[in-house]
Amino acid sequence: MLTLIRRELLDNLMTFRFAAAVFIMLLLVVSNTVVLIKDYERRLADYNTAVKTHHQQLQEKKTYSAGRLHVDRPPNPLSIFNIGMDKQLGNQVEVYFGFVPTLWDAKMHGSDNPIMNIFSSIDIAFIFKVVLSLLALIFAYDTLAGEREQGTLRLVLTHPVRRGHILFAKYMSAMVCLLVPLLMSVLLAVILLTTSTSISLSTDDFLRMAGFILTTIVYLSVFYLIGMLISALTRRTGTALMLSMFVWGFWVLIYPNMILASILPQPTVEARASSTFNQIEQLWEEFEREQEQYLKNDAVPGEDPGFGIGWVGGSMNRLNKDAATLQYYYKKGFNITEIDERSEPQMPHIQNYYQFLVPLTIDIADRTWRIRKPALEKIYVRPALIDRILLKVSPIGMYDTATQAWVGTDLLGIQDFFSAARQYRKTVIDFFYDKNAFASRQWIAADKGAADWSTLPQFSFQRSGIRINATRALPDIFLLLMTNIVLFIIIFLIFIKTEV
Amino acid sequence: MIWHIAKRELSNNLNSLRFALATVLLLGLMLTNAVVHLREHPERVKRYRENVSNHQNHIAAHASNGLYDLAQEGPGNLYKKPSDLRFCAEGGEAFMSDRAQAGYHRWSTGTLKSFWILAYPSATPNRDNVRPEVTKVDWGFIIGYVLSLVALLFTFDSISGERERGTLRLTLSNPIPRHTVLIGKFLGAFISVSIPFILAVLVNLLVISTSSGVHLDAEAWGRLGIIFFVAVLYTGLFLALGMLVSARVQRSAVSLVILLLVWVVFVVFMPSTLASIAGRSTSSGPTYDFSERSWKLHEELSSDYYSSHYKEPEGSTKRIEIDGAYVTKDAEQQERLHAERLNRRIAEVHRARTITRISPVTIVQNLIESFAGTGFERHLQFLENVQTYAREFRTFIVDTDSADPESLHIFGVRTGMSQEPVNPEAVPKFEDTLNLSRDFNTAATELLLLTLFVLVLLSGAYLAFVRVEV
Repeated sequence: MLTLIRRELLDNLMTFRFAAAVFIMLLLVVSNTVVLIKDYERRLADYNTAVKTHHQQLQEKKTYSAGRLHVDRPPNPLSIFNIGMDKQLGNQVEVYFGFVPTLWDAKMHGSDNPIMNIFSSIDIAFIFKVVLSLLALIFAYDTLAGEREQGTLRLVLTHPVRRGHILFAKYMSAMVCLLVPLLMSVLLAVILLTTSTSISLSTDDFLRMAGFILTTIVYLSVFYLIGMLISALTRRTGTALMLSMFVWGFWVLIYPNMILASILPQPTVEARASSTFNQIEQLWEEFEREQEQYLKNDAVPGEDPGFGIGWVGGSMNRLNKDAATLQYYYKKGFNITEIDERSEPQMPHIQNYYQFLVPLTIDIADRTWRIRKPALEKIYVRPALIDRILLKVSPIGMYDTATQAWVGTDLLGIQDFFSAARQYRKTVIDFFYDKNAFASRQWIAADKGAADWSTLPQFSFQRSGIRINATRALPDIFLLLMTNIVLFIIIFLIFIKTEV
Repeated sequence: MIWHIAKRELSNNLNSLRFALATVLLLGLMLTNAVVHLREHPERVKRYRENVSNHQNHIAAHASNGLYDLAQEGPGNLYKKPSDLRFCAEGGEAFMSDRAQAGYHRWSTGTLKSFWILAYPSATPNRDNVRPEVTKVDWGFIIGYVLSLVALLFTFDSISGERERGTLRLTLSNPIPRHTVLIGKFLGAFISVSIPFILAVLVNLLVISTSSGVHLDAEAWGRLGIIFFVAVLYTGLFLALGMLVSARVQRSAVSLVILLLVWVVFVVFMPSTLASIAGRSTSSGPTYDFSERSWKLHEELSSDYYSSHYKEPEGSTKRIEIDGAYVTKDAEQQERLHAERLNRRIAEVHRARTITRISPVTIVQNLIESFAGTGFERHLQFLENVQTYAREFRTFIVDTDSADPESLHIFGVRTGMSQEPVNPEAVPKFEDTLNLSRDFNTAATELLLLTLFVLVLLSGAYLAFVRVEV
């Protein structure tokens, strides 16, 4: 058995294709890692500036209602391995008591030139997806057909060796050969990562990288086995090689692009969202009715929400609505610097009014969220899931999903940030309650003491733990493993039955 | 004699597995492309027509309110006309806005309103798109990636294969010059690759042209002809590359390995890697930085304004003049700011596009884009059209105002401008147009570059084949 493996290994190591494989992998991975690290550093710098700007902006606000809180999503250092959705989805979202933030309310901080998106960006997973699969097929095409052509297969089989052992030896040795360029290039990439000053990696990150490499190996093996299968089926190496290339072109280039183009389009987002949006609008109409009710029944005559107060300063009153993302909320804030002496007796009334109004707004926002969440899932997330499942017919799709899950740039990983933002909104509301901010004068006016933001808890976002990454990646790794086993069994059966 | 060899090559290829596979692959891709286009394009055209009529209604509505209203509101959104040949090249259209905002309003005070400026909204289609991103299956993709791969698969063994089987020696023992053999083989491979491609193109165009929703005019057919020619030239490039490597290398397996690796580097990786190196090195300035600058400029101007405004008595011509100067100066400043940002972004993309031209696939995709009327160059043309129109519109306002003797000729304030009603018919309307001769100019360099590549590779293949031992 070991003799067999050694023979195959020596056979493979001395070839031109091995040298070419090592060279090309190193060239592509190293050059792209350098570019990707630069890109990451730039995004990190943008993130830091954004955090600083938002902090400053908040400190400048002298009233609670005018405070604009933004939370920013830090770029993921492992996005170098698989960029996933890290760069494309919004990375800054406003935390406001009047609405529950989601992925669809996010905006972009940063200095991206949107037109630059016409150039496709790449990551290490893309290199592996395209080049490793190609190399695996190049190593596999002549394993069986080549020996049959040369007649050495007959020679080997005259010895008392099992056919299964021969297959296994061939498989093992080729995988070892393919692992050399893979591990070398990953190692270099990791060295580049660790030497970069802006990137700090935790133990979990190294485990995630290990998961990434493991997935890559399993993926590599799928393509090697596909090549072996073709080699077992064909008589001549030329045909095997050509067929392998067509199979590669189909799975890697054509299938992923064609399948998504050819699935039937769904009705537009607006059409699917409209009924839910009506519900949400009704909720907010109810909100307005209750507000009017309050103004009618309170101690002050008239229905003026301003209570006839004379003041100097800024105010904002805006309705944000967007039917496509089911966004609907009022943004109301005052930044009063001076209040007319004569209106002073009115102040308790207005404070009472906000003590009533803000909790009502929070309540309506929570209720909106309960309607909005399932609708958004249905409109945006489900079609994306269907797409992903269709893509998983190709090993490329499985590999892509699995590696995204490992490094945490998949949709779930990004959504973790938005759950953290929702959690933070609760913290902010609790902070307001603790300070009794709604009923305070500082809610609208800063003439007698400004709002105190110093005790507001800071937002921090921790990426999900390695365990969660692993559970998210597991189904796809399992699928890849299954594909391996099935392919191996098929090859074994064919090889057992063929005449030499 | 050339034809004899070409015919032999051809009949060899026609019966092969690769010919069948290539035909199926290309046909499948082209059919998908046609079906998707028929599904999406009528919708796109409909939306454009609606937008254009909105633009015209917008102008008519404000024109009837008088000159001040028209001059303050501006012509409204100006839309880019979708190309009928969008199926040839997607050209990243999704990342370039399909409109320019000619009426971006920023503020109003009790008596004054900001004047319109030309702003360029950016398109971020992916910001809330959680679906996986894939390349669009357009002609650019089919030609750039699939056809080039097919061309390599047809030529990797054209010389080394014959050498391996020993038939090359047999052929050369006849009194035929080597270059005749080479050209014959090239032509044979060329025709065998062209057959599946032409077949697929014909099916694609048949499906598209028989549909009632999409209409292709004579000019569009001319453009399609040029695109076809570009595709043929590009195929020739990869055929020549295949023959060059095949002539130099002893075994056909090694030849294919080399070719594939070259293909992967030049076609798959080069464009995106080079673009990242070129483009992302300089940034076009953060978004909030931009809004801050815009705000600061406005603040400075308005503090100047308020200090001088109240010195003049109400209703005096001097005060109207100050008001008018404030409004027009503000619009000018803001518009310049927007134009500056746009120019920076364009310069960055230009740089990236220049560098990525080393890769033949980028060249061919740029060419297809420019002839299909999509992509970056087309966007620039649209922006130019928009800017010309904006000037025209402003001249119209000035001319109409100066034609009215009762007007004070002070822009920016209602009382300073002509009070006469404006004839909505006379106001210039925006119409986006495509200009083929301009496309040809921008494309000429790339076309020449591509031809140069083909010639270099072909002569390389000739030299390699002449010097090689059989």
